[in-house]
Amino acid sequence: MDPNAAIELKDLIKIYKGAAIPAVNNITLHIPKGSIFGLLGPNGAGKTTTISMMCGLINPSSGQIQVEQFSVQKQKEEVKKIIGVVPQEIALYPTLTAFENLQYIGNMYGLKGDALKQKIQNNLITFGLDQVQHKKIDTFSGGMKRRINLIAGILHDPKILFLDEPTVGVDVQSRNVITEHLHLLNKNGMTIIYTSHLMEEAENLCTDIAIIDHGKIITQGKPKELIQQHHTENLEQLFLKLTGKKLRDH
Amino acid sequence: MLRLTSTIRKELLILLRDKGGLAIMFLMPMAMITIMALIQDAPFKDYQEMKIPLLLVNKDTGSLGKAIEKGLNESKMFDINKQALKDTEVKQTVKKGDFEIGILIPENATQQLDQNVDLFVTKKLSEAGLGDSIVAENQNTETLNLSIYFAPDTKKSFRVSIINSLKQSTSKIETQTLLNFFSKELNKDGEQMNDKEQMKDFVQFNEISTVETPQEALQLNSVQHNVPAWTIFGIFFIVISMAGSIIKERDDGSYLRIRTMPGSFITVLSGKIISYLFITIIQAVLMLLVGLYLLPLLGLPKLSIGSNVLAMFLMIVFTGLAATGFGVMVGSIFKTHQQASTFGAVSVVILAALGGIWVPVYVMPEAVRIMAEFSPLYWSLSGFHKLFLNAGTLTDILPYLLKLSLFFFACLATAFYFDKQSQ
Repeated sequence: MDPNAAIELKDLIKIYKGAAIPAVNNITLHIPKGSIFGLLGPNGAGKTTTISMMCGLINPSSGQIQVEQFSVQKQKEEVKKIIGVVPQEIALYPTLTAFENLQYIGNMYGLKGDALKQKIQNNLITFGLDQVQHKKIDTFSGGMKRRINLIAGILHDPKILFLDEPTVGVDVQSRNVITEHLHLLNKNGMTIIYTSHLMEEAENLCTDIAIIDHGKIITQGKPKELIQQHHTENLEQLFLKLTGKKLRDH
Repeated sequence: MLRLTSTIRKELLILLRDKGGLAIMFLMPMAMITIMALIQDAPFKDYQEMKIPLLLVNKDTGSLGKAIEKGLNESKMFDINKQALKDTEVKQTVKKGDFEIGILIPENATQQLDQNVDLFVTKKLSEAGLGDSIVAENQNTETLNLSIYFAPDTKKSFRVSIINSLKQSTSKIETQTLLNFFSKELNKDGEQMNDKEQMKDFVQFNEISTVETPQEALQLNSVQHNVPAWTIFGIFFIVISMAGSIIKERDDGSYLRIRTMPGSFITVLSGKIISYLFITIIQAVLMLLVGLYLLPLLGLPKLSIGSNVLAMFLMIVFTGLAATGFGVMVGSIFKTHQQASTFGAVSVVILAALGGIWVPVYVMPEAVRIMAEFSPLYWSLSGFHKLFLNAGTLTDILPYLLKLSLFFFACLATAFYFDKQSQ
């Protein structure tokens, strides 16, 4: 394993039971430590399957996944301790307050007592939610829910954070707070794996990207370098050039 | 341990804040118990306590009419209403539904019986060469007909038992009359059998009760049936809530988040099961309290729960485990809340019907009684009946506890299988 890599995938294949073609088809990928890595692709390209295998949620059909110094297949528990996941859904309990939700998630990572309370407070203040910490989640706006969803993923200070469309359906202010804080977390050493359909956001946020389609990585590198290589003006043009304009979800 | 306690706390908070869910879990079964116990009070009494209304039209003034009337009274099964009606009116009165049974003893029935017996005796004696053969050969007996009318909805088995009971009353007087006539013919010159020399029963049935404790003397009444029955039903209805919670967590991503957290998922699942189990225990206690204190205020008998509190508690816990296990399985198999709630509700209703929740299993057809053996609600109800009606001990309910725990583990195994398949 390369000591500079946060995650390495080698010859990774996933064929779902009964499927005619692989969802992930022989992917080899290197995600540098301290990067904000954008895994981009159209619907059904294989992004979610790849990330699910990296998190240990599903087992690959073949190939190897290394997260930091741990093998996902063999040391799942160790991997889980150093990763954080922010799903696209608001994976929180709507009838619990923001504080109760975060307290539960903190406890699940073994955090407790004053240390946990302090962590929760700090994060709530950072994301502008300290005034509503004792209100139920179902009273929150879309932006507030996204922010609390993000806090739930970083409460235990993971080394690697997986983000699935973290800014979907939020207002400009909330998006700004989220992206600013992601930059800050990254600056402090956290590796961020990010998926999104918002190409402009990905271009601004990511230090590295890979575009995946039909279960294969079709390009990989620094966004600006890739845009130049393919003679396009921005990431969206590059994305369309490589994946085509044909609809994928009809 | 922190993961377990934290999960229990989280689940209980969610459950307690779900006011609609709480109403379904607590108020609905309590209302069901009260309503069903009240509704079924009369039918249960029908079978066990209530007397059957009987119309008796006795036109006979002799000993036969009196003997039948005495037999009916002594059986204590009937609420006898004596009326002087015409023969045609008896049928109409019973058909109207005022009486379950009508008995018409015709005029001069005793006289007719005496004549028949006299002729029979004379014939038999003449055959033996002891009487007047010419008289005996020229006369025939005429059957004495007692008419019994049944209401149109009277069951066949009930009709047969009533006719047998009446036959028993009349056969004794037939035999007595027969003996009197034989005695008269054989002792024409001597003394006749006097009234004090009544024939004794050569075979007699002694009714010996197997009841040894006051608890065992309790009969299955509406309260003793409905309170444990609907308590079990209420406990099993938690399947919908439990399955819904699992599906919701899967839909909103919480399940995914939990799966990415360190530690065994079994701990998280155990926390969920313990929380719902706690709710089922509260449910059961509240419903038993309804049987103990509310139902007597409504004029129903007080629930008797026996003396073995530990065994009763274990019955509740294992019933709760079976229900929560079933909930986990339903939540794992079905993809949407709608599918799970429909299947959960229908399956619990079917298992309840088979398990004797609505009507006791012993009144069901043979085929259904066999199917009942496969319903966890039946195992649970049988266990409660053992404790409440038969002064059962922990040893007596062990087979039911074992079956319920096996059902729980089978459900969890199925849930894990489906969960694995979906990954």
